[in-house]
Amino acid sequence: MHAESAASQEMRIKGLAVSQGIAIGPAFPFGSGIQDVRPHEVAAAEVEAEVQRLTQAIENAKCELTRIGEETQERLGERSAEIFEVHILILDDPEIRGAAIRRIREERLNAEWLFLQVVEKYEQSFSHFKDEYMRARATDLQDVKRRVIRQLQGAAKSPGDGLPGPAVVFAADLMPSETIHLRRDYVLGFATELGSRTSHAAILARSLKVPSVVGLGPVCQYLVPGTPVILDGYSGQLILNPAPETLERYEKTRSLYEALSHKLARSRTLPARTKDGKDIELSANIEFFEEVQPAIADGAIGVGLYRTEYLFLMRDELPTEEEQYAEYVRIIDALHRQPIIFRTFDLGGDKAQRHFHVHQEANPFLGYRGVRLYSEREEVFRMQLRAILRASVRGRVRILIPMISSVTEMRFCRGVLESVKEELRAAAIPFDEEIPVGAMIEVPSAAVSADLIARECDFLSIGTNDLIQYTLAVDRSNRYVDQMYRAFSPSVLRLIRDTIHHGHAQGVWVGMCGEMASDPLATMALIGMGLDEFSVSPVSLLVIKDIIRRVHFDECENLAERVLSYSTADEVENYLSSVFRRKFRDLIIHDPNHPLVRREQN
Amino acid sequence: MIEKKFRIKNKLGIHARPAGQLVKVATRFKSAIYISRNGNEVNAKSIMGVLMLEAGHGSEVIIRINGEDEFSALEAIEELIDKRQFDEE
Repeated sequence: MHAESAASQEMRIKGLAVSQGIAIGPAFPFGSGIQDVRPHEVAAAEVEAEVQRLTQAIENAKCELTRIGEETQERLGERSAEIFEVHILILDDPEIRGAAIRRIREERLNAEWLFLQVVEKYEQSFSHFKDEYMRARATDLQDVKRRVIRQLQGAAKSPGDGLPGPAVVFAADLMPSETIHLRRDYVLGFATELGSRTSHAAILARSLKVPSVVGLGPVCQYLVPGTPVILDGYSGQLILNPAPETLERYEKTRSLYEALSHKLARSRTLPARTKDGKDIELSANIEFFEEVQPAIADGAIGVGLYRTEYLFLMRDELPTEEEQYAEYVRIIDALHRQPIIFRTFDLGGDKAQRHFHVHQEANPFLGYRGVRLYSEREEVFRMQLRAILRASVRGRVRILIPMISSVTEMRFCRGVLESVKEELRAAAIPFDEEIPVGAMIEVPSAAVSADLIARECDFLSIGTNDLIQYTLAVDRSNRYVDQMYRAFSPSVLRLIRDTIHHGHAQGVWVGMCGEMASDPLATMALIGMGLDEFSVSPVSLLVIKDIIRRVHFDECENLAERVLSYSTADEVENYLSSVFRRKFRDLIIHDPNHPLVRREQN
Repeated sequence: MIEKKFRIKNKLGIHARPAGQLVKVATRFKSAIYISRNGNEVNAKSIMGVLMLEAGHGSEVIIRINGEDEFSALEAIEELIDKRQFDEE
């Protein structure tokens, strides 16, 4: 309609890149398949249920709009979010909601059909407006219309249904049930209005290796099916109606990336071993069952961090032991006896509120989270340990405790574990008697006393994200200070070095499951410091392995020594970048949005 | 009952966002509030009605208010249309 003429120019929208890759193709806005709506009669006895169904769909659409509005306001400010209030007003307007309900009662036809009739009457009037800007308001109505129809059609209609061919799929948000039904070969990319790096859609997109950008804000309203788009999963940019030069540039970049990943994929089945024969355990961080298979296919030797919070956040009630057991078994079985580290539930701040009645805290990151919940809610911790222990006979399971800041906490956890084991023995339920237990080192107090903590553990795993934030006293999500969040600060590097050193002195192995393990710039330095295990995000497996296979251990040791002699994060990064450019030129693609190139420019 | 004529001075006219602002202001009051243009009168508390007026830049609209709080309602609407010009940048 008018959106077409208004949108034929190149237009760029910035979102959050959550899954790497570049998708080029026609847009397929979810719910654009509403031409399928047909009228059908509703039995007299069902009329009120039909009214209720429409009311519920409108309420759900309003909730969705409120959420998009809040997210948009946070990211782009109040003005950009106002359009969603307008959409909510439209849904509440007696001329829309009231009219549709009245017509259901009078005409006894289905809610989808009558809602469409009511909205389209206005859409038509708008399209006859003389003022071009006013005419474009028809797109607001289309957006509102799609949202409600999608709610009415519910899960029966997944966004991939009716995909006419390969396309970039757009949606307000992709629910797990929806993403799973997509025809993989037809989905070039995912783009959503809502979402964050950790939303289910984002995680799934990464594991399926589909380029994905989320949090784009109100984008569906600019789209008609078939609008040509470029979705850049490196920079988070969405380009509508790209100009020929833009298209050419992106096609070139895409082929460079494809050539590189093709090359890296060749070492998929080769060991993560340095040139002089030191083996590094390279495993993957996962949260969902769906991520296991692709990670193993890319050469992970196991799971170095299985985040179990998902089960606790899914619903308002806590998961039962049986539910947990079933999920754990499914994941362990998919691993075919390759090792997996279960991180016991790491909830805190806002996340824990529903289940644990956590009080409002002034500083949630310094508050009640991770292991600190376990003593007060021991029964929840015990239930999870029981489920993990029961599942442990089916594979090679390890347990990791989050947010350890003292030996006392570690002893408490081991005590509970022993008592749960005793229970299982008494009930003659089999489990792995030798199950290894580790501490997550993500609080500076734990890092500086890693020797004491290591004595209570079978292994240590460094969580860099929190370790950096606590060490530097910087909240990474606070844009006034986020530039001070530097993984390569000498203080952070020293803590990592000391943790590894202390662990080894106590005879336990030391791994890393934070983001730093996935940073190609850090790989050589970490190998040189003696890190035994890298647990990385699945997309980084191949590149990290490639680096490991191309270096000598002693060369890494020399590099680490040099890195630790610098006084500032800038000096460290400059040095690491220069080494990287020299040794791994071929891994850097000259795309201004490539993370390494971007870092050099800053 | 009171009535007042306004000229819409903001560049984009009463499009979606200004219409939303007007409806939100109007619904704060108990009085019945109508807005008309070229003889078409609609309920100012209905966003669809307000949008249907197609009150673009430079158009003239009449606000008619009837009720116990009509004066304060008119004042609030004057403020939005004339003084703040729908906060357009």
